[in-house]
Amino acid sequence: MPRKSIELPKIEYLSILNENGELDKELEPKIDPKGLIEMYRYMLLARRTDERMLLMQRQGRCGTFPQSSGHECISMASIFNINKDDWHVPAYRELAGLLWRGWPLESILLYWNGFEEGAAPPEGVNDLPVCVPIASQLLHAAGIGMAINMEKTEKVVMTYFGDGASSEGDCHEALNFASVFKAPVVFMCLNNQYAISVPLSRQMACETIAQRAVAYGMPGIRVDGNDVLAVYQAAKEAVERARRGEGPSLIECLTYRVTPHTTSDDPKRYRSDEETKEWVLKDALPRFAKYLDQKGVLPEAKRLEMEEEIDKTIKAAVQKAEVMFQSDELLNPLHMFDYLFADMSPALQEQRDELAEHFKTKGKDWTNPQKKEKTPASPRA
Amino acid sequence: MAVEFKLPDLGEGIHEAEILAVKVKEGDTVKEDQPIFEVETDKAVVEIPCPVAGTVEKINVKVGQTAKVGMVMMSFITDGAKAEEKPAAKNDVAREEKKEPVAAAAKSANSESAKVSGGSDHATNGRVNITGPVPAAPAVRRLARELGVDLTQIHGSGPAGRVLNEDVRSFAAGKLEGRLTTAERPAQGQSAAGKGDDKSSKSDKVAAPSLKDKYGSGDGEKSGGAPLEFAGGNLPPAELPDFTKYGAVERVPLKSIRRKIAQNMTIAWSRIPHVTHFDEANVTSFEPLRLKHDDKVREQGGRLTLTVLTLKAVCSGLKKYPQFNASLDERSGEIVFKHFYNIGIAVATERGLIVPVIKDVDKKSIIQLAQELKDIAEKTRSGKIELDRLQGGTFTITNIGAIGGTSMSPMINYPECAILGMARAADKPIVVAGKIEIGTIMPLALSFDHRIADGAEAAYFVRHIIERLEDPFTLLLEA
Ligand SMILES: Cc1ncc(C[n+]2csc(CCOP(=O)(O)OP(=O)(O)O)c2C)c(N)n1
Repeated sequence: MPRKSIELPKIEYLSILNENGELDKELEPKIDPKGLIEMYRYMLLARRTDERMLLMQRQGRCGTFPQSSGHECISMASIFNINKDDWHVPAYRELAGLLWRGWPLESILLYWNGFEEGAAPPEGVNDLPVCVPIASQLLHAAGIGMAINMEKTEKVVMTYFGDGASSEGDCHEALNFASVFKAPVVFMCLNNQYAISVPLSRQMACETIAQRAVAYGMPGIRVDGNDVLAVYQAAKEAVERARRGEGPSLIECLTYRVTPHTTSDDPKRYRSDEETKEWVLKDALPRFAKYLDQKGVLPEAKRLEMEEEIDKTIKAAVQKAEVMFQSDELLNPLHMFDYLFADMSPALQEQRDELAEHFKTKGKDWTNPQKKEKTPASPRA
Repeated sequence: MAVEFKLPDLGEGIHEAEILAVKVKEGDTVKEDQPIFEVETDKAVVEIPCPVAGTVEKINVKVGQTAKVGMVMMSFITDGAKAEEKPAAKNDVAREEKKEPVAAAAKSANSESAKVSGGSDHATNGRVNITGPVPAAPAVRRLARELGVDLTQIHGSGPAGRVLNEDVRSFAAGKLEGRLTTAERPAQGQSAAGKGDDKSSKSDKVAAPSLKDKYGSGDGEKSGGAPLEFAGGNLPPAELPDFTKYGAVERVPLKSIRRKIAQNMTIAWSRIPHVTHFDEANVTSFEPLRLKHDDKVREQGGRLTLTVLTLKAVCSGLKKYPQFNASLDERSGEIVFKHFYNIGIAVATERGLIVPVIKDVDKKSIIQLAQELKDIAEKTRSGKIELDRLQGGTFTITNIGAIGGTSMSPMINYPECAILGMARAADKPIVVAGKIEIGTIMPLALSFDHRIADGAEAAYFVRHIIERLEDPFTLLLEA
């Protein structure tokens, strides 16, 4: 009996608007001008917020946080394909998507300043909070997808993870479960080529992350992660497939983390400036801006107006958040006991009481039962 | 209104940062977000943007200084209109308050557990005697195992006494260095201890091991040595081929200084197993000092040079590492430690290399050394050096910097233990905090007698010298 080869799907690479701003007209998705502007605005808002937060961190006004600059395209162009009652299960570089979903800027600032109140999702959308434990969110996404099937609704789940996360056991389990149970999940991999200091070449020995989809029995594609149109198109197809009940997809978005991993990282210790500079030139924002300008959708003058408006929005949010940072409501140290269990365990209750007692001896009564209000869900920034 | 800027925690759990650059001056008008400092933490080099708009009132830190998180680095006078900038500062206070209860809670939890475990209060002056495992992360434990360090011996500098990597390293380095350096002179130490009338010197000197303890008779011998059966060989004069077969030659008797040099070098080379240790001193800070003080030194007939400074630095090193100021007595099988510091300076003359000696370097000021150095160099070159100034050296310095060369492997001036070679101090690109800068680098090479000193000791000795060349103020601290 001769040896035979098994036919396996080939892995596609998709690029529509390349790094030189050249457009493949045939592949260009049809997005209405309002939508295009909206995507651009949230990408820009995320970029400027990220930059402002970095300055604030250096000034001692913000905690450690992972920068999202350079990842706006992946988040925005994919999330744009889902509805409010669909599920958004982010990792931690999806700032653009969070803002578009209606997370107030103040929540973002609260969260990265260590106030758990900032993790409360806004009303009206099915979002999970930022997830820092690598790859754990993928299991939540797969589980939510399976629940959607049980409920027999047509919702979908959009979830995000990094190239480093792709090496975690959780990632394997989530992809396998989702695939076996045809969960309507779109797995968006932000392949930014680094997991802190670990480069892609030390992360995996295969050519793409997308090809793993073959092993799980789902479609996989690699796209240019700095190309809004390519990410949009790939995500759109995956969302439609999920909604049709055909199961999950894996989309590998190739990009590069041009910033440090977090505000406490120093990339000079593990990679060259030249490498980074090369990728800065491939940034999604100028590429997209040029496209919008040439299309006449967003001329430069309008874009500058948008910059100004965003600058004001951020300033106002920072001011508001910094006032909130000092409110007793948020500073109350007893809150650290409050959100783990629906019914507090006796041991925890005892510790809470002890701490409250300690403060009373210092003249501060944190137990004064001012009812805790929800973080004000302000309208979309 | 005045606003203070405190060093924030720039990473996760960073407790200090080194100031690499201060980008504004007192009195400068500053804009919000304009860079004011560049600092380096354990994790990264970062630029700190200005938190407010206004005028720089006072700068409390200098370049090179290490600032602790929370330290007030700079204060500003802000334009009254900007008073709402205050939240940032207030927020700090709020956070501090927030921290306190945790610390307090931890404290009470600690004493609680101490009570439970010991049945009585173990607390002594506010600290709890921990009898359980030493708090240290697994990586730190591994490092300790690798370096053979007992964690219980270390005073942890981390939060709640946690032992950190750097604690283990510095403990290990200190232990090694402690073993390599040697005590004050035993005679002095003993008498002070015996009389007990000089408490400070007593406690200083009794703690360190004496030279005898360190090098002494592990094999039970009380004192004295035995001749070395393996002393350097004495080969018969070698025979040369007949060069006249190949061309004309001229034969000149080997005389006077040349003969002496040849003799000395043969003895040194055949008797002493030489090892040369190389290092570099960053002497960038010396030139400004020299320019500032050279006139004064010249007025008194000397010249302020790196050699003069090196004399002082070497002398300090010899006190700490006396094995480099010693000689091996092959006949008696003893190490002879010299309690005087006479440093020879190799001087190139037309007739050959001569090494006049500066006596009692430890007792002379820099100015005196500068005068004497100039004097002996001139006298030696002109052949007028007195005979007694050519004898009695305990260590030699040779400086080829004026001519060139990137380094050398100098030959020991028998019967000394070591010789330090200085090569040219030249401007070189150096890496400072990830950037290339220009620094003045002087290569150093120490050849030493490996029978009485080891490589690690040489490395410490040369480092000791370099620290003093790089920061001459250190010499004052120990004077
Ligand atoms: C389960 C878990 N392990 C380790 C970490 C520490 N950690 C934080 S980010 C990170 C690297 C993640 O790399 P990648 O998935 O490529 O995402 P990127 O940060 O590059 O976007 C690690 C190891 C963590 N947060 N969670």
